Formats: sequence, C-alpha cells, structure tokens
Amino acid sequence: MSAKIELSVIVPVSESRYDGTTELYLEYKQALETAGLNYELIYVLDGPYPEVELALTKLIEGGEEKLRIIKLAKYFGEATALKAGFKYSSGELIMTLPAYQQIKSAELPRLIALCSSKVDMVIVRRWPRLDSMFNRLQSRVFNQILVGLTGADFKDLGCSVRVLKRRVIDEIHLYGDQHRFLPALAYRHGFKIVEEDVEQSQKDAFQRVYSVGVYVRRLLDLLSVFFLIKFTKKPLRFFGLVGVSIATLGGLILFYIIGERLFAGIPLGNRPALMLSSLFVVLGAQVVSIGLIGEIIIFTHAKKIKEYTVEEIIN
Amino acid sequence: MDLSVIVPFYNEEACIEDMYNAVVAALEPTGYSYELLFVDDGSKDATFNKAKQIALKDPRLRVIKFRRNYGQTPAMAAGIDHAQGRVLVTMDGDLQNDPADIPLFLEKMDEGYDIVVGWRHKRQDKLITRKIPSKIANWIIGKVTGVPIKDNGCSLKAYRADIIKKIPLYSEMHRFIPAMASLSGVRIAEIKVNHNARTTGVSKYGLSRIYKVLLDLLTIKTIVSFASRPLIWFGSMALAMGMISVVAFIYAMLLSASENSVAMMGVSVLFAFLMTFLVLSGVLCELIYKTGNQKVEALSEMTSKEICFTTLNKN
Repeated sequence: MSAKIELSVIVPVSESRYDGTTELYLEYKQALETAGLNYELIYVLDGPYPEVELALTKLIEGGEEKLRIIKLAKYFGEATALKAGFKYSSGELIMTLPAYQQIKSAELPRLIALCSSKVDMVIVRRWPRLDSMFNRLQSRVFNQILVGLTGADFKDLGCSVRVLKRRVIDEIHLYGDQHRFLPALAYRHGFKIVEEDVEQSQKDAFQRVYSVGVYVRRLLDLLSVFFLIKFTKKPLRFFGLVGVSIATLGGLILFYIIGERLFAGIPLGNRPALMLSSLFVVLGAQVVSIGLIGEIIIFTHAKKIKEYTVEEIIN
Repeated sequence: MDLSVIVPFYNEEACIEDMYNAVVAALEPTGYSYELLFVDDGSKDATFNKAKQIALKDPRLRVIKFRRNYGQTPAMAAGIDHAQGRVLVTMDGDLQNDPADIPLFLEKMDEGYDIVVGWRHKRQDKLITRKIPSKIANWIIGKVTGVPIKDNGCSLKAYRADIIKKIPLYSEMHRFIPAMASLSGVRIAEIKVNHNARTTGVSKYGLSRIYKVLLDLLTIKTIVSFASRPLIWFGSMALAMGMISVVAFIYAMLLSASENSVAMMGVSVLFAFLMTFLVLSGVLCELIYKTGNQKVEALSEMTSKEICFTTLNKN
C-alpha cells in the first residue's frame, strides 16, 4: 500500500440496510480492480453492525489489504457516516457506494472513467427500472418536488452510487440526512455534474414501503435544504414573504369588517371573522419578526460565510 | 497600491475589452498605481476567456471566475475581498458607467470623504420601468436609512478600503452600502457622473426586485438602527401591539351585555400574546448580538483613526 491512493471508495452502512457483505465486497472489488486505479475501500459503520463487522474483519484477516473499517460510536445518520469516510480517506477521486445492491457493479469502471477533468461529479440514474410502479412513482414524486424547489434537474437522487472530486466535499457542508441532496447542493455550488443511466441490479427491484415517519422526515429535509440553498444569507426574504402575505390577508379582512361596522352598522365585537383576521395579522407579525431575528443572526454571526465560490483566479 | 477598480461581469463578452481599454485610458494619466479586478459572475459566453487573454498580457489585471452566477453583490464582495488598493472603485461591466469619471472620485476622496457615490443625473434608461421606480426607491431608502442619496443604484462608487472591507456585504446589499457604512459615521459625498445608454447586450434587471428591495430595506433598518439594542426595536413594536390589545379590551367591556363580546375579547388576548412574543424576541436578539462576533461598535471604531489621504495625491 505504498503507492498514492487515487480512488477512495466509501461504503456507509446505515439504517440497517445491507446485503450479504462478503459477496458484495467481492463484487465491488472485482469491478474496481478492472478500473485500474490504486484504490482503497472504506466501510463506515454508522453504529453497531456486528454482522457486517464480523464479515469485514474476516475479509481483512484473509488478506484484503485495501479494505478498511471505520466504526462510529452510535447512529449519526448517513451523511455523518459519509463525512467520516471522507475525512479518513485520501484519494483525490471519491466514490460512494451503497452497502446493498443497487446497480450492476460491472458498470463501476465506466462511471469512474466519466469523472474526467471537466466533470466534478458523476451521479447515476437507475435505468431501465426493474422495480414496481409504486417505487417508481414515489421516487418520481420526490424528485419532482426537489426539482421544483432547488432547480436541480436530476432524475434519481435515491441512488447512492456517486463519483466525485474531493473539492466538491471540501466546499459543501453536509449533515443529518442531507447526503441524498449532495448532487443538488453541489449543483447550487456551481459544480459540473453528469447523470448517467446505469442498469439496475436485480436485487434492488423489490417493493419498498416506508413508514409515515420516513416520508415526513424526507419532506422536512427537503424543506431545510431548500431554505439553506436559497435563503441562508437572507432569511427575511423567506420569512418576510410568508409573513407579509399572511398579515396582508388578515389586514384586508380586518379593514373590511371594520368598514362594515362604521358604515353599515353591522356589529363587530361578536364576529368570528374578527378573530380570524386578527389571528392572521398576529401570525404574520410573528413570522416577520422571526425573519428579523434571522437577519440579526446572519449579521452578527455569519461574517465568514462567503456567498460565492471561486473557480479560478488569474494573476 | 493606491487604487483597485472592481468590475463584475456577467455575459458581457462584447464589452469587456472596451471596458478594459477605457479604464486604463482613464487611469494612466493620473499616475496612481492601480490594479483591475474583473469578476466573472459565472458567464456562459466568452467573457472569461477574453478577460484571460487580457490578463495574460497585463499583470495589473486580475480575473476572478465564479463557479456559477451569484449576482452583483457577491461579485463585488469577491472583488473587495481580493483587492489590495487603499481606495476601491466599483463599477458596472456594461459600459453604462464612464471610467473617465474615476479621477473625479479620487479628487473627492482627497477632500477627506470616505465614500463617494455616483449620481447618474442624466440617466439613459427607460422611464417607466427603470427611472420612476428607482426615484421612488431612492426616496424611500433615504427616508428610512437617514442617508439621503439620490442614486443608490449607481454602481460607480469609491470607498476607502479599510472601511468597505469591514462592512458585511451579502445578498443584494450593494445598494445599501452607504447606509450600512453610515453606522460608522463615515463622510459620504455624491458627485454627478455620466451615464451611457446600453450599446450592446441586454439589461439584466426587471421589476420583480421591488419586494426584495423593500425587505432588504427592513433588514438594513433593523441592523443600522437597532442591531446593537434590538430590545428597543422589538419593545416598541410590542408596545404598539399592547395598545391594540388594551383598546380591544376596553371595547369588549363597553359592549352591552346583550351583545356577545367573546370575539373582541379574543382579539385582545391575541395581541397581548403577540406583545409577549415580541418582547421575548427582543431578549433573544440581545443574546444573539452579545454572542456574535460582528459588533456595530467595531464598525465605528475605524473612522476614529484619521487616515491621511494626501499620500494618494500624485507627488
């Protein structure tokens, strides 16, 4: 292992989703060997996974010297696991792979070759899809929302096979469950991203139904990514728009019913509409003041956050 | 280095060479040492390549290339961050500002002003969509911020470097730099400048900015007047809400027993809640300000050091 590592492959094991570790490792290994780069393969265990750990330790004892294991003390989320992997790897080129079968691993060398000098990131779209209509529909909906919110037009963010340059993760701050949005975040930073169609693995094609909590969490993640992308340095633009619209609505109703009281003599004190419109005004004022708090946070704390990313400086 | 000229470009391949020639022609006779900073704001055309060509011949020109389009303020902020001159001049990249005006700005700086802003007194733009909205906006901005400047939108401005580098510049705040700088008690002068009609390219502005400018104005007002004592700002709003609450309460009491006053009473309680919320927000902001690393006082400290400008005078 003396030669410089060119490619770091990171496999996060998270949320109890993994397939037969030994088989998968051997499959990945075979594919990576054909790519012809000097690589390392790092498994990041996001919490205790004794079964995976045992299988991997056996492999290492069996002489797999390119394999490394990083074990996190408890469950932190896949983005954190990935970040730990990034930190302890050294290759300029990074590949993330799922701990389960998603695509035909024979395609990996092709993806690595795609990440040439002009491209910062290669992501994968599983196509043609073998899974059920229901799965396809839920990914479609998820992606459609994402496109609408961030403007990043990617077809399959559920696929965790990605090849990227180290500079991408140096610039992007990931946490929680945001690994899924890495392409969207990278896109907003102005990186060049290529989406490539790759055949889906047969084993990935089962029906997935998640609990309601998972869907809610994903939507909240989407909201936070959307907010961070668009309004990090201008919170009042977001809160102000929401708050002012609500308050204006309330104000107009209020105006109308007060006018009715003054000119038509309709009693005011017992109208539910009075309550409703006042509620709107109050809610609007609260939202706007939250925006103002946000602005003060930005002014006093975010001096170092640069709003731009520089690609090149000449002279 | 005496002078840095910062020019953001976005898809201005037709202008960039003329711009460079005009700036050099304007500055060469003055005898100052100067540098040019061209910021390519993620142009999709040949702007960057053309700038690169010039920069290879002239070491005084630095070109900063963004990864993607970020907007005018980040572009100017990048230029300001990288500038080395003692006086910084910013201007538009579309030749609507006349570089021949720059020496006038320097003369004004020599008189002891910290910031000199341009005023396009014979503005060559469309009346309805550009001139009238801008007149109104400037009037409002002057009233709200207390810094009456006739033309906030003019990009041609000159700053003392040590002042502008300390002012946080984000979102679309370049319009409000003079207001922000007034925090530090700077001396601001305004001079008339030439304004040419656009000869090439298309204007990149629209009317959609109005709500953004208004919200930015609210932000700037909060920061300029109240960042260092937010409780007063939130407290005075809370007081107004408290009055509404009291008025509603009295009204509810005055209603005859036959009338149902529940709704009016509810309104009174609602506004009392809002008052509490605002007071607490103010307290929260005090905390945020106290722990932050950007202090309004720090901005005003810098003008207390008198810096002699006569060194800028040639010979």
